[in-house]
Amino acid sequence: MELIVALGLIVFKVAFLIAILLLLPLPLTWLERKIAGHIQQRMGPMRVGWHGLLQPVADGIKLLTKEDHIPAEADRFLFKLAPILALAPPFVVFVAIPFGETVSVLGAEITLYVSNMNVALLFVFAVIGIEVYGVIFGGWAANSKYAVLGSLRTCAQMISYEIPMGFAVIGVVMLAQSMSLLEIVRAQADVWNIVYQPVGFFVFFVAGLAEAQRIPFDLAEAEGDLGAGFHTEYSGIRFAFFMVSEYAIMLLVSVLVVILFFGGWNGVLLPLPPILWFVLKVAFFVYVFIWFRFTFPRYRYDQLMAIGWKVLLPLSMANIIITGVLLGATAAP
Amino acid sequence: MSHAGDKVGTWIGWAFFADLANALALTFGYMFSRSVTMQYPDKEKWLPYARYRGHHFLKRDDEGEIKCVACELCAKICPCDCIEVIPYEDEKGNRHPAKFEIDTARCLFCGLCEDACPADAIALGQQYEFSSFSSRDLVIGRDDLLGKPGKATTGGAVVAARLNTEHDVLVETSELQGYNWWRNIRRT
Ligand code: SF4
Ligand code: SF4
Repeated sequence: MELIVALGLIVFKVAFLIAILLLLPLPLTWLERKIAGHIQQRMGPMRVGWHGLLQPVADGIKLLTKEDHIPAEADRFLFKLAPILALAPPFVVFVAIPFGETVSVLGAEITLYVSNMNVALLFVFAVIGIEVYGVIFGGWAANSKYAVLGSLRTCAQMISYEIPMGFAVIGVVMLAQSMSLLEIVRAQADVWNIVYQPVGFFVFFVAGLAEAQRIPFDLAEAEGDLGAGFHTEYSGIRFAFFMVSEYAIMLLVSVLVVILFFGGWNGVLLPLPPILWFVLKVAFFVYVFIWFRFTFPRYRYDQLMAIGWKVLLPLSMANIIITGVLLGATAAP
Repeated sequence: MSHAGDKVGTWIGWAFFADLANALALTFGYMFSRSVTMQYPDKEKWLPYARYRGHHFLKRDDEGEIKCVACELCAKICPCDCIEVIPYEDEKGNRHPAKFEIDTARCLFCGLCEDACPADAIALGQQYEFSSFSSRDLVIGRDDLLGKPGKATTGGAVVAARLNTEHDVLVETSELQGYNWWRNIRRT
């Protein structure tokens, strides 16, 4: 009986998570278009629903009913596999992400995470690394110049930026003495990591922008020079998969930034419920992502590589060393 | 000294991404500035200036008779050759157009017909919404031209409007004194 209840709870949590992740791109696209509009002194979508609120629904219906086109020369198997490979990892990763400690529903304590792995951070980085295969396969299978160029760029970009990203979190792990995201958040109950790890945050955030392939590092789908990059040839629901994956990763990076550097659900000053704090912080970083997108131009490819290898990597290494020395100095006596 | 100071300042700014921060501040400011979008045709409509050259109209004289004397000067001067006039003589012996057609699909709204007319009978008005599903519908006859709105006295403003999809895509303006659209343009 115990087992069945526990299993049911897990299934419910996973279903809830998937539903949220699948539905979240709807408000996010609306938000993105609205913010874009207002930054450019436009209004964004206005005609479908109140202030265009139903526009994403209309777009979704359009995407679902559009022809799902596969180019004649494409590698059909890889072409069909790629969107799934791009979509699944960001969803899987959220299994390891805690959204809070516990809430009590009907007298029962329910944890706000699916599983508390002791190597959650490692799991996140390992699984998110798979996502790049979706992008690479998608670009390769389409048999189109633009798509291949886009996926080649992604390939190099992901490899270059995953290294500083991984190094940047080592400082956090050293502070918390744990790789469990739950422990990391608990360790920040008094002081958020951003105070101790500003450089780590900077490196992580910039690498996160690159990882999510958002401007200023969206070379993989640079509209200006590559059509749409790796998903040039995709249409209909498969294109929607890539879209959802992009938003899920954007959300994931925001969530990770909040958990690793901004104290997760620990609040300051205002006694709001922890989950609300968490959502507010994540929403802020999602906004920052969108804000960046409509402010900065895209970096050139060689600049991208220079930033990754010549700036972020040394910075993250120096960060590890300095953190280690300071930790040793404070722990010595 | 100050030159070196400038240089150091530039480098410090560079190290702390002063230019990126400036850009972010700028876009953030723009986010809360007034939008320049004219919500045409749902809510607003641009009323062109009074001198705007829009849809043609034919005028009547004081007795209600059509002013045009069918001299065909407008047809002669028209660079697109889109006016066709066939005259007739009424019982008083005055010439008037039996047929007066403008092919607005070909017209380039140069206004030369208005300038050439010796009888001050034709002019270009303020109306600009006359799209149609067939180019044949854009050939406007004499009686339609007589019914078109005349020269405007005001303009250069955004007025409230409403989309009417009952029979045609029509914009109905309710207030005549609109607001000056240029007030929305941000000057920094
Ligand atoms: S406006 Fe110009 S082009 Fe149009 S009918 Fe008059 S003369 Fe011809
Ligand atoms: S509109 Fe004027 S120019 Fe044209 S035929 Fe009539 S009188 Fe002559």
